[in-house]
Amino acid sequence: MTTRSASPAAKVYREPAVEPRSRAPRRRRHTLPWRRLLAPYVFVLPFVLVFLAFSVYPLFFTLRLSFTDWHGSGAAHWIGFDNYRYLLTSNGFWASLGNSGVLWLLIVPAQLVLAVLVAVLLNAIKRLRGFYRVAFVVPFVTPLVAVAQIWIVLFDQDNGAVNAMLGAVGLPPVGWLVTSGWAKPTLALLFLWKTTGFVVLIVLSGLQQIDRGLYEAAALDGAGRTRQLWSITVPLLRRSLMFSLVLQTLAVFQMFAEPYVVTKGGPYTSTTTAGLYLYNHITRADLGTGAANSFLLVIVVMAVSLLFVRLLRAED
Amino acid sequence: MTTLGVRPRRTRPLLGSHAFLLVLTVALLAPVVWAILSSFKPAGEIIRDPLGFDPATLTLANFRGMFQDVPIGSGFINTGLVLVAKGAITMFCAPLAAYAFAKYRFAGRNLIFGAVLLTLMLPTIVLVIPLLLEMKELGWVNTYQALILPGSVDAFAIFWMRQVIAAVPDELLDAARVDGCGEFGIFWRVVVPAIRPGLAGLGVLTIMNIYNDFVWPVVAASSSRMATLQVVLSTLAQNISGNRVGADYATVTGELLAAASVALVPLLILFIVLQKHFINGILAGSVKG
Repeated sequence: MTTRSASPAAKVYREPAVEPRSRAPRRRRHTLPWRRLLAPYVFVLPFVLVFLAFSVYPLFFTLRLSFTDWHGSGAAHWIGFDNYRYLLTSNGFWASLGNSGVLWLLIVPAQLVLAVLVAVLLNAIKRLRGFYRVAFVVPFVTPLVAVAQIWIVLFDQDNGAVNAMLGAVGLPPVGWLVTSGWAKPTLALLFLWKTTGFVVLIVLSGLQQIDRGLYEAAALDGAGRTRQLWSITVPLLRRSLMFSLVLQTLAVFQMFAEPYVVTKGGPYTSTTTAGLYLYNHITRADLGTGAANSFLLVIVVMAVSLLFVRLLRAED
Repeated sequence: MTTLGVRPRRTRPLLGSHAFLLVLTVALLAPVVWAILSSFKPAGEIIRDPLGFDPATLTLANFRGMFQDVPIGSGFINTGLVLVAKGAITMFCAPLAAYAFAKYRFAGRNLIFGAVLLTLMLPTIVLVIPLLLEMKELGWVNTYQALILPGSVDAFAIFWMRQVIAAVPDELLDAARVDGCGEFGIFWRVVVPAIRPGLAGLGVLTIMNIYNDFVWPVVAASSSRMATLQVVLSTLAQNISGNRVGADYATVTGELLAAASVALVPLLILFIVLQKHFINGILAGSVKG
């Protein structure tokens, strides 16, 4: 943003161009020196090497492993699709996906609405703006494990500060982390607390690119603030919102550290997220099943994100 | 800025806006402030009266106990080493790759960028088993290489920087070419200075991600000698569920809050010092409307 407006070269471009810009690179291509042709490959090489070594190779390894009954030592036996059949017919797998789905419902819609609301307010005010921005990013820079620990202590049923506050206004204590009904909302609250500030910043950057003149024109036409929000702000924020939606969806389905530290997946299996369920195979040395579970999770996560990307494209 | 006709309407909602934002701010800051304040209270007090705060009884006992119970010092050292090495690799390689994606047209570009997106979508946990086995094959279990190399060229950082670099005008690059600048020279002398706000944002983001990383270190650094700060902290959290024989609940709670405070304060200070760069960097890197 700043780079674009501050750059002196932006002016150079305004001078009459001889031919359309899109055609220029093609005409020049066969005169390009080899160094320029080779350069991009050299530049992306480190990523490609890391990708091959630590993503592609492990992925193929996982695929092979998912068809075996390997437990981490001894011989592995080829068992075909047994792991997949086991998972797809087991309650645990579907329950873990369901838990992640419920967490998604508790988190993502509320987060997007909250982020738009906060960003619009932050954009409208002048005083204390910097202070609020800092406050909204503090949770984001706090280490997750530290937050998880604070949550354990704050939401303790008998000695926690939250129940102490409830008690102060005459309400009975709640078993935040020890009852199936409350554990998921309590984790969702942790996630919301931790990440909403980041989404606010993304939305805020989208807001700052909207032409102010649009609002003035709308105001002259008699559109109220609510009307302006729905007819100008939200449609023009679509890309920022979609970006946040995909990013947060990925994050929720990958959620692992929060339940791992705070609830260990309990009570019963109420907070065993898809990620944690997968991890449990590893700790039981049930590696073949774990590998099959990995692939199913990848398929789910990709299907969901591609669905959102499609929605974005369809509206463009 | 606004026309006269609009301005009077705005004064009243502003009060409401501030009230709303202030309530949210308090909710956001309260847990952190509470944790830091409580970590100085006697352990028994945190449990007996979690909301009270008596300056007369402040103590460092929780911190002393925590330093005795977990190797938090070596956790800091390990995290620091990983931070420097992995951070340097990310901060150099990710913008470089992003520059190639943003400013060059080359055969296979879409394929390789697809790989970036794939890496972005792969849950870390999915790669944990095979990566661990790969580390065993390489003899890298409980080594710094294992903590540093996987994920060292961060896909999110590439994705993010591509947005920033795309905003650098092509004419600037062409001008440098005309002046006889080499391809890498253009990156180093033209692109890098032009994207400084974005780089600063990426820097803070990278530090945060590495400092806070948990899933991979908890598996790859299973020995307490190699454990990073976050892994050390989580060990302490496991104790609270009663695994530790003879430890009483109040003591563990106090130590837990002390550990959380020790872990969050360095990043909090870093962020407050660099907040302007960080926020501008994120604003620069986000998706263009």
